[in-house]
Amino acid sequence: MTLIFRKPLPDVERPEMPADVVIVGGGPAGMACALRLSQLIDEHNAKNPESQLSKENIYVLEKAREVGQHCLSGALLDPRSMRELLPGFEKEAPLDATVSKEAVYFLTEKGKLKFPITPPPLRDHGNYVISINRFVKWLGSKVEETGITVFTGFAGSELLYDGDRITGVRTDDKGVDKENQQKSNFEPGYDLKAKVVILAEGTRGSLTKQLIAKFDLAKDRNPQTYGQGVKELWEVPAGRIAPGEVIYTMGWPLTTREYGGAWIYGGKDNVVSLGFVTGLDYPDPRLDPQRVLQDFKQHPFVTKLLEGGKMIRYGAKSLPYGGWWAIPPLAGNGWMIVGDSAGFLNSARLKGIHLAIKSGMLAAETAFEALKKDDSSAATLGAFQSKVESSWIKQELWKVRNMHQGFEHGFYAGMFHTGLQMFTGGRGLRNRYPGTPGYQHMKKLAELPANGGAEAHLLGPAKGDGKLTFDKLTDLYHSGTKHEEDQPAHLVIQDTNICNTRCVKEYGGPCQNFCPANVYEMVDDVEQPNGKRISLNPSNCVHCKTCDIMDPYQIITWVPPEGGGGPNYDGM
Amino acid sequence: MKILVCMKQVPQKDAPLKLNETGTWIREDVSYEVNEPDAYALEEALRQKEKHGGEVVVITSGPARAQQVLREALAKGADRAIHLEDNAFVGLDAFNTARAFAAAIKDDQFDLIFTGLQSDDYGYAQTGVVLAELLGWPHATIIMQIEKNESGIRVKRELEAGYFQFVDMPLPAVLTIQSGINKLRYATLIGIKQAKNKPLRKVSLAEVQSALGANLQKIERLYVPQKTKNTEFLEGPAGEVAKKLAEKLRNEVRVL
Repeated sequence: MTLIFRKPLPDVERPEMPADVVIVGGGPAGMACALRLSQLIDEHNAKNPESQLSKENIYVLEKAREVGQHCLSGALLDPRSMRELLPGFEKEAPLDATVSKEAVYFLTEKGKLKFPITPPPLRDHGNYVISINRFVKWLGSKVEETGITVFTGFAGSELLYDGDRITGVRTDDKGVDKENQQKSNFEPGYDLKAKVVILAEGTRGSLTKQLIAKFDLAKDRNPQTYGQGVKELWEVPAGRIAPGEVIYTMGWPLTTREYGGAWIYGGKDNVVSLGFVTGLDYPDPRLDPQRVLQDFKQHPFVTKLLEGGKMIRYGAKSLPYGGWWAIPPLAGNGWMIVGDSAGFLNSARLKGIHLAIKSGMLAAETAFEALKKDDSSAATLGAFQSKVESSWIKQELWKVRNMHQGFEHGFYAGMFHTGLQMFTGGRGLRNRYPGTPGYQHMKKLAELPANGGAEAHLLGPAKGDGKLTFDKLTDLYHSGTKHEEDQPAHLVIQDTNICNTRCVKEYGGPCQNFCPANVYEMVDDVEQPNGKRISLNPSNCVHCKTCDIMDPYQIITWVPPEGGGGPNYDGM
Repeated sequence: MKILVCMKQVPQKDAPLKLNETGTWIREDVSYEVNEPDAYALEEALRQKEKHGGEVVVITSGPARAQQVLREALAKGADRAIHLEDNAFVGLDAFNTARAFAAAIKDDQFDLIFTGLQSDDYGYAQTGVVLAELLGWPHATIIMQIEKNESGIRVKRELEAGYFQFVDMPLPAVLTIQSGINKLRYATLIGIKQAKNKPLRKVSLAEVQSALGANLQKIERLYVPQKTKNTEFLEGPAGEVAKKLAEKLRNEVRVL
């Protein structure tokens, strides 16, 4: 596979900065990693006055303008790892509510069936409803208190190599115009020469993707599979849902051929988090996940909850749910991968924050040993792999290792396998179910009924009534996304001829549908053989990475835009 | 030249705003950013310093979160910062904010004080001007260009309808800076790191309390604008309709 990235500017002298540890990404995994590392260094320094370790050259890079602004999740927090990281954290962390009540429904178009018991993976008593934005902001403030520097507004744009060793991270160039020319305020990216690079970029990390391709790390693994979560935050009239009330639904509007479901969480101050996760392995290229959420809201059960309320925030993000078999090797010469970048997400429980935090902590313990020994070779950092495998991360993920693969042939087969796996410790019919990359499930238009068949109600853009349902642009406005307009496109399409000649005919330009932010448009162009040409609005991007994942030809590469740009997920 | 830049932290432009319980201001759980014209004021100060030497000092008032604007300014090249830190500063009117600033800098000798043209939240455009009066210095507003000359400075003011005014002023002086006067620079990694060790003086409310008086201006109540839509068809011959339309636009809608 050839990977094309934004062309680095030629003949640029780049400042260098030495670093002990660079953590790329300031989400739950990255921040937990930084915090744990600081704790270990403090303990060490207290005991060893003669051999002090410094935190001076430990850095966190965060592409958002402010910590937490690109974090999006439901979110429910399983407190297990936080209790290990900061015992008693509940006293000071921003938690919205303790889960008090939970229910799972199977929806038909107008009706609903309540599951008589909540399936064990979805039992959430003892978990917290949180805003991951506020939670990570708080975690970030704890990190800054330790003296570790968090560089906000800086993305990791390239990895620096020396043979099979990662030697650092290059940050993004700033002040480059659309034509790839330097503007008067051009500021070159830095080369952070690091002993240890920890990739905590979140879902479908762009450096992680480079690393996996370069060292062929996906070999012998299941392909990573993803879903796209589309979320709206609502303020509803009092009394509709209790703080801490948790509702999951399956079924409508999806048919048995798509994987996915919805969540509804009651937060404080009558704020409701609701969203729909659509598996990025659906067959019909005309399906639009943002529309799926709009359809879901029109179910009488959901309408009743939201009526008279107001949508206050919108966002979307992909999530990795390939499970244990899709996790790449976790460490090598100079590097480790944590959190969603590695795929630490329990798809049966729809939870990954606690695993992200735990993986960050274990990586910190490994990095600490490397600093002490002044050796960050694969021999030392490889300990991270065994730490994960002997921790509760593996115990938890092992039980659901075949969960998502079981659904590859539809809902009924999925329920059968899930049931079987529950009674066999996750095994099901065999120890390892194989997986297929989601985009390969997409069918060509010629193989599908022209009117959409059973999926007809899911296809095409949502119209929106402006009160309960919204078209994509209205939703997008509520993501608060913003980018410097005059910069090179950060969505790199290897060959736009494929879009204009093949894709438009074969799939009808599915990027227009799966992108939750109207970045992609097929515009009229008489000079093209099919009368359509691809056109990009990169400034709309909400950094969900779906295009990088779901494009059927795998020719789109998402690279970080100029640091500081992106959504503003305040309160999400 | 020794330049003071007054900066303010304001809610982000696209932040979803909610009123507080008393309806007198917004709830604080939003993201904040540097007031846009203040960012240009800082950039202009840094450029003047690069040309003529000297020192750039930044000042703000507000709760702990407001320190962020000072950190950003220090990262971009300001030499030191002054933070009037207290929640109470949020509720001060422009007159009192100017009094607090004047009291906080009484031991400093500045050649120039820059403020942004106005704040993105209150939009009073008063603090800089009042500060000049309190100090007894000349001031000029809506500045688009600053040239140092032998007797002081020559500034270009933006007037209406594309007109500009050039003014020669002595120093010291207060200038309120218009957005777009220059092109903002980016903070660098090394700048951000060095900013951690630059001096940041905290001033408590008690230290400036004696300079303050009662607020002269107070927000009684904020309202969220209610969107209304009203359609009316004017019928009749074109000439009459045009007449009616002009009348409505002048007297009812009042846009003419």
